[in-house]
Amino acid sequence: MTSLLAIDKISKSYDGVRALNRISLRVRKGTIKGLIGPNGAGKTTLFHLITGVERPSSGTISFHGKDITSLEPHEIALLGVGRTFQTLQVLGNMTVVENILTGMHTRLKGGFLSSGLWLPWIHKGEKGALQEAKEVLEFLGLLGRWKWLAFQLSFGQQKMLELGRALAMKPKLLLLDEPAAGLTPAEVKRLAEKICRLRDQGITILIVEHHMGMIMDIADEVAVLHNGELIAEGPPDAVKNDPHVIEAYLQGRGVDA
Amino acid sequence: MAPWVYIPQLLAAGITMGAVYALVALGFVTIVRASQIINFAQGEFVMLGGVVTFFFIKGAGLPYPLAALLAVISVVCIGFLLHLLVIYPLRKASVLILIMATVGASIVLSNTSALLFGTLPKALPPFSGDLPLKIGGIHITPQSLWVIGAAFFLFLILYLLSHRTLVGKAMEASSTDPLGADLTGISRNLMVFFAFGVSAGMGAIAGVLVTPLFYTSYNAGTLLGLKGFIAAVLGGWGKNSGAILGGFVLGIVESTSIAFIPSGYKDGVAFVILLLILYFRPKGILGSPYIDSRRW
Amino acid sequence: MVVENKNEFRKRDLVYTGGLWLISLILPDPHLPYRREFIKKRDFFYLGTLLLLPLILSDPLVYLMVLAGIYAILALGLSLFLGYAGQISLGHAAFFGIGAYTTAILTTRYGVPTVGAFWASALVAAAFAYLIGKPILKLKGYFLALATLGFGEIFLVIVRESRSLTGGVSGIFGIPWFSVAGFTFDTYLKQYYLIWGVLIGLVLFAKNLVRSKMGRALLAVAASEDAASSVGINVAQVKVRVFVISAAFAGLAGSLFASVISTANPEGFSLGLSVLIVMMVIMGGMGNLYGPIFAAIFLTWLTDMLGGYQEYSLPIYGVILILLLIFFPDGVGTRLNARLIYLISYWGRKRRRERVDL
Repeated sequence: MTSLLAIDKISKSYDGVRALNRISLRVRKGTIKGLIGPNGAGKTTLFHLITGVERPSSGTISFHGKDITSLEPHEIALLGVGRTFQTLQVLGNMTVVENILTGMHTRLKGGFLSSGLWLPWIHKGEKGALQEAKEVLEFLGLLGRWKWLAFQLSFGQQKMLELGRALAMKPKLLLLDEPAAGLTPAEVKRLAEKICRLRDQGITILIVEHHMGMIMDIADEVAVLHNGELIAEGPPDAVKNDPHVIEAYLQGRGVDA
Repeated sequence: MAPWVYIPQLLAAGITMGAVYALVALGFVTIVRASQIINFAQGEFVMLGGVVTFFFIKGAGLPYPLAALLAVISVVCIGFLLHLLVIYPLRKASVLILIMATVGASIVLSNTSALLFGTLPKALPPFSGDLPLKIGGIHITPQSLWVIGAAFFLFLILYLLSHRTLVGKAMEASSTDPLGADLTGISRNLMVFFAFGVSAGMGAIAGVLVTPLFYTSYNAGTLLGLKGFIAAVLGGWGKNSGAILGGFVLGIVESTSIAFIPSGYKDGVAFVILLLILYFRPKGILGSPYIDSRRW
Repeated sequence: MVVENKNEFRKRDLVYTGGLWLISLILPDPHLPYRREFIKKRDFFYLGTLLLLPLILSDPLVYLMVLAGIYAILALGLSLFLGYAGQISLGHAAFFGIGAYTTAILTTRYGVPTVGAFWASALVAAAFAYLIGKPILKLKGYFLALATLGFGEIFLVIVRESRSLTGGVSGIFGIPWFSVAGFTFDTYLKQYYLIWGVLIGLVLFAKNLVRSKMGRALLAVAASEDAASSVGINVAQVKVRVFVISAAFAGLAGSLFASVISTANPEGFSLGLSVLIVMMVIMGGMGNLYGPIFAAIFLTWLTDMLGGYQEYSLPIYGVILILLLIFFPDGVGTRLNARLIYLISYWGRKRRRERVDL
């Protein structure tokens, strides 16, 4: 039972407002963990803390046994943590394939000078990278549009593209922030399939979602946040019927799956 | 003689200059409060205040007060024009484009002024005579007192405007929460329009007050505008009180620095202060509602 | 009736397509790799024109192209920082000046050969950019613009005051012509080939850079700093490095400038020049390498032409600036290309509509 990501008593306050209160979570390797909760519960804040965009007021976060609490976002990415954003951050000024290639940044060699001089290893790297990027696009179903500019894609396709960018990093841990938001039911189904396939390939996934149906279907374990507190954690069925969860989310009515 | 001896006199000069910077800074802040735009042409409003007044006196032979009034009105109209012709068409453009557009406007205004009114420096007679008053060993001209008084007076007017009048409150609202303001019927563009007029007017008044102290010429606006901006950032970006405080602090520091470094470097002092502030405390002395130091 | 429609349709679209094809021959593209190759046929057209141009131009016009080439190097460097990485600098004239003064001081006082001074200028400018960049580039938008402007002004103040080092307001005279291995570039013609040769080398460097992962890193930083850091891009480091590179370009340009006009004085490195270079990049298009070069040629020619109407020149210049910004906020090249794409897809849609009607 190896936990890839360990969050220990994390608290975060903003100017006196306590966004997260001594949250402790474990994400086991090779599993899909869902993180749900009403809006404002602190889910995206937790993501920001894990990826280093913000610093916790107290507590520690470790990845693969290593303390990442005070690392910079790009350092954490280097360790193998990829993420997508709730507010879609597709790189609209580049082509679809370039978005994927950007994800491979840490896996390619070279700096400014060597790139400018187009030294041999740069050339080799680029050729291999293009091939791999196309494979990722094929997995996502976007290969046909590889030369399009990213902003030309539809919303659902852009969400896939952002996922692809994170995948291009070959991450060990993938943090997905509301990946299903704004997608049609068919797109949600496709997304769920892909996430399961990623889990089967060995990637550990932590998903923040509002889409109950998808989470309950694919998650191995679910954690529920409410007002900065962890109010439930366990397999989806147990959480679904947990009275605290029902109260927090829907004020007494049953959980809509 | 040790440099320390000069300090009181330099302080007086610094306070005067500080009042000028404060006025220019108020102009910047007014527009920023309405629209988050930084108007690089702000200094030109000040310059035009003085130059146009001079023109009305010498060219049209009008009496001093009337000329000043007309000049202020003309500059306010120029401010409105600036909004209509430059800012409004670019209301959806990026920050960079807006910066470049106001820089362009600044070029147009200063060089048209050179074209229409000539490039020689202009001077205006002081309001109440030029006999310096002696206060505790320091010489202050009455004009300086006018300038300092005007700075506080205009600050008071702005305060009343934004807190007591509907228009002022509307301007505040549209800057704090544009969507909300829109939904309650406040036209953002109209607010920005007024803001340009108000800050142009303030700049012009500053120009009329200041020209008797220092000469003004077509290219004086740029540097003045920059320093006024620095003052606004120094005191606390986006706050009227910050503009006033920043103006005086900048004026005093700049003035007293001559005691310690060669006078040619004086203009550089403001920019060094800018870099220091931006690096160490971008919020400014009094803090700023607009700058989020978390993500800075 | 359907047949008539078809013919009508063909004629009009032939004109469109013909026009578009003609325009696309000459105008630069926004940066779209994987649509085109590294060197297109169009590049040979440009190269050929560049090589042959001085033979048909009169001497004063060749001089104009010499200046345009120098500004083009400036614009190219800035386009990496502004057009690709999306950061604003209103103080690049200072790096230009640093390069010019470095060459001036090294060649006139220490007898350093111009080639050495050339590279030294790039290094010194890069060093200043590194020192300034680290703290300043934490800022964004307006504040970065103002900080760089502040730096530019401080540079001018220091240059004007340190009479012993820089000759103060009058500057330094008698900077020797650029010379390599005994060959001296003393005529406009020779200088033309020197400068445009350097530019071509720098363009190749820039093209490589932009095609590589660092080029993508620049665009990513411009698009979304959060996304960029989430894929492992060290945003702060990238910003500083591209700033340093663009300053090095400016330093090289400054060195060439000093060799060409033989003097260095503060007047040539003012805020106005910084604004001009930014205009070149904006007009040329963000995310574009050739665009700013064309814009540099155009704006150099424009300022020269306006110089004839001395008093009217500057206000008109300002008005033109504003108009360009209003009508082409993404740069001339980009706008026209966007129209091209639109028109082509319009044609495609019409075609499909035709088939449906049948």
